[in-house]
Amino acid sequence: MGDLNSISLDCGRKPEHPEETHSDVGRTCELHVPVAEGKSVQQTVDLLHKKLEQLSAVKQGSFFVDCETYHAAGPTSGQPPKLLYVMHNSEMPLSCMAMFEGGPCLTADANFDVLMVKLKSHFQNAKGHKVESRGARYQYCDFLVKVGTITMSSSARGISVEVEYCPCVVPGDCWNLMKEFMQSFLGSNVPELPSVFTAKPEGLYAPADSTDTMTQYLELFSKVRKQQVVPGSTVR
Amino acid sequence: MADVMNVGVNLEAFSQAISAIQALRSSVTRVFDSLKDGMKNKETLEGREKNFISEFQENLQAVNRDLNELERLSNLVGRPSESHPLHNSGLLSLDPVQDKTPLYSQLLQAYKWSNKLQYHAGLASSLLNQQSLKRSANQMGASAKRRPKVQPSALALPPQYVDDVISRICRMFPDMTIELSRPNGTSAVLLVTLGKVLKAILVMRSLFIDRTIVRGFNENVYSEDGKLDIWSKSNYQVFQKVTDHATTALLHYQLPQMPDVVVRSFMTWLRSYIKLFQTPCQRCGKFLQDGLPPTWRDFRTLEASHDTCRQ
Amino acid sequence: MEAPPVTVMPVTGGTVNMMEYLLQGSVLDQALDSLLHRLRGLCDNMEPESFADHEMVYLLKGQQGNPFLLRARRSLAHLATPWHLRYLGQPEVGDKSRHALVRNCVDVATSHSLPEFLNEMSFRMDHEFVAKGHIFRKGSLKVVVSKLFRVLVQGNTENTEPLSLSSLVELSVLAPAGQDTVSEDMRAFAEQLKPLVHLEKIDPKRHM
Repeated sequence: MGDLNSISLDCGRKPEHPEETHSDVGRTCELHVPVAEGKSVQQTVDLLHKKLEQLSAVKQGSFFVDCETYHAAGPTSGQPPKLLYVMHNSEMPLSCMAMFEGGPCLTADANFDVLMVKLKSHFQNAKGHKVESRGARYQYCDFLVKVGTITMSSSARGISVEVEYCPCVVPGDCWNLMKEFMQSFLGSNVPELPSVFTAKPEGLYAPADSTDTMTQYLELFSKVRKQQVVPGSTVR
Repeated sequence: MADVMNVGVNLEAFSQAISAIQALRSSVTRVFDSLKDGMKNKETLEGREKNFISEFQENLQAVNRDLNELERLSNLVGRPSESHPLHNSGLLSLDPVQDKTPLYSQLLQAYKWSNKLQYHAGLASSLLNQQSLKRSANQMGASAKRRPKVQPSALALPPQYVDDVISRICRMFPDMTIELSRPNGTSAVLLVTLGKVLKAILVMRSLFIDRTIVRGFNENVYSEDGKLDIWSKSNYQVFQKVTDHATTALLHYQLPQMPDVVVRSFMTWLRSYIKLFQTPCQRCGKFLQDGLPPTWRDFRTLEASHDTCRQ
Repeated sequence: MEAPPVTVMPVTGGTVNMMEYLLQGSVLDQALDSLLHRLRGLCDNMEPESFADHEMVYLLKGQQGNPFLLRARRSLAHLATPWHLRYLGQPEVGDKSRHALVRNCVDVATSHSLPEFLNEMSFRMDHEFVAKGHIFRKGSLKVVVSKLFRVLVQGNTENTEPLSLSSLVELSVLAPAGQDTVSEDMRAFAEQLKPLVHLEKIDPKRHM
C-alpha cells in the first residue's frame, strides 16, 4: 500500500470526527477581493501586503493553489458534460485533490495526475481552463494569511485572500473572531464586506464538514472563470 | 543533655574497652595458631601430646581472661539512652568536631521551625475557613462530613481515593472527558479534553496538581513512543497563553485540607474555556488583541478578558 | 553518492513512467509451507509481512475500444491506511529477449472516498475478491504469495470461499521504463524456486 500517512487528508472532514484527520489545518476562509477602482491587481496586492506588515505579520515564503479541469467524454445523453477538477495546494505538496462540483472528492498522492493522463480518452484536460492562485504567505500569531493573484491562461483575473485560524477546529466557533481580524486589514480597502460571506454566511460556514479549503478555492475559481464572459469587467 | 554528658565521662572506659577487644582478638588468634601448627617434634609421643595439651589449655585460659576483662569494662561504659527525643539524629551531638559543623544545633532549629509552621498553618487555615472569600469555601458544609476521610497528610492518599474524586468530577462536567493514567508509580496523570477546544495534561501528586500544559484540540498529546507528552508546549500562541494562566490558577486555588475541592475548583475554571473562540472580551468588547482571543478567565466570576485588559 | 535502490526511491512526483515486470505461478496448498520456508531463506532477512486485502475491479466503458480498468484495493487488517488505486497497462509479452511480462503501472494512494468517487467518474464495479497471504522482498524484487477468495455476497468480506486449492505466486519488480536487466534477476530468482513453483510469463489475454 502506498504511503499517504505523511500527507494531510483534508477532504470530507466532519466536525464530529476531527480526530480522523491529523492535519494541522484549522478553520479557513477564502474571499475574492475586488480590485479597487483605478488600481491594478498588482497595486492592490501590494497594498494588502503593506497592511499586513503594519499588523506585524511575518512573511513566510510563498504558496500556490491550482486547478485543472477535465471534461468527461462519451455519451452524456443531452446533459452538459461532467466536469472533474484536479487541484494542488502547496500546503500539501505530495497530494492532489480531485472533485466534482458539489459531488464526492478524493484525496490522493501525486500519481493521480499520471493516472489522469492515462485516462485521457475518457477525461479531456481543458488546458485553457487552468486557474491558479500564487502569492505570499503571512503568519500573524495563530493566523495564516495567503494573498494570491488569480491567473487564468496567463492573465491576472483577481485576488484571493485565504485566512486560516489554526488553533480552532470548529469553523462556526471562531467565525466572529476571524471576521474581526479580516476587517482589521481589509476594512478600509474594501468598504463593503466581500459578497462571498455577506451573501451566504450559513451556507458557507455553518456545515463545517462540507466547507473545506479546497472547495472554497474551487468555488472562487469557478466564479473567476465565469467572469470571463462578462464584458467590461473592472478586473484586469 | 544529661545523658550525653554521662557518656562523655566514660570516654576513658571506652578506650580501655577497645584495647581489651584487641587483646581478646589476639589471644583467640593464638589458640587457632597453635591448633594449626599441631604437635611439635619431641622425643616421645607421650611428651608431644602432653606439651600440646598444656599449650592449648594455657591459650584458652588467656581467652577467658581477656573476655572477662572486656565484660567488666563494658559495664563501665554504660549504654546510650534509647529514648532520645531525636532518635538516631540525636547522636549527632556526640560529634566531637561540633564547632566546625554545627549540624546538631541547626537540626534542632529546623525542628523548632517546622513545629511552629505547622501550628501557625493550622491556626491560619481554621481562621480562613470561617471567611467565605472563595467559591470553593462555599462547598465546605457539604464536604465537612467527608473530611475525616481525608488524612492530614494529603500527600499520601490511596490511589483508589484519587480515582473516586476524579471520576466524580468527570461526571459533573459532561462536556469534559478525563482520562486517568499512572505512567510512573502511584502519581496520576490526567488528560482532560474540553469539548472540541483544547486538551490539557495535568500531572498530579496525590490530589495536588503539580503541573499543567494546555494544547489545541488537534495537537498531539502523545509523543512518538506512545506516552503522554507532558513537556512540549503548544504550537499555538493562544494555548501557550492559556497554559500560563492555568499555571497561575493552580497557585491560586489552594486549600491544603481539602485537596479534592481544589481539583474541582480548578476543573470548573478550566471548563470556562469551552467558549474560548466565541466569547468577546468582557472589558473591551473585542475578540482580538494582538492577534489573541480573550485568554484570561477571572478566578471568581470566570469572566473572559484579554490578558492586557484584566488589570 | 550512490543511487538509492529502487525500493526507497519515492514513487511520487507523478512523472516517472513506471513499469511492472511480472512472473506468475501457482502452488498447491499442500506445498505452500515448504515454499514459504524456501522464501524465508532466500529473501531479505525480515519478518514476512502478511496481509489481507479486499480488491475491487472497476471498468469504465467508452464508446469504442477496450474498457478502462482500475483496481481499488484496501487492507482488511489495517482499516485506517489509505486505499490503493492501481492502473495496469497493456502487457507486452511478445519480446522473447525479455524474461518477464512488462506492463505500464500507476499506483495511487487515495482517501477512503474512492468507491464513491469512481462511481461518480462513471466507473462500475466488475468483480471483487479477497486476497490473503504473505509478502517477501529481496532487494527490489517483491514476492507475493496469496490465496484468493471469492466474495459471495457483494461487499461482504466476511462471507467468502476459497477460489481454488492453490495459492497465487507473483514475482514482480517496479522499475522505470527501459530497465530490462531486472528481468534477468527475476529469472535467476525464479530458477531458485523450482521445482516448488514454476514462475512464468503468462499472457492474461490468452486466458480470457
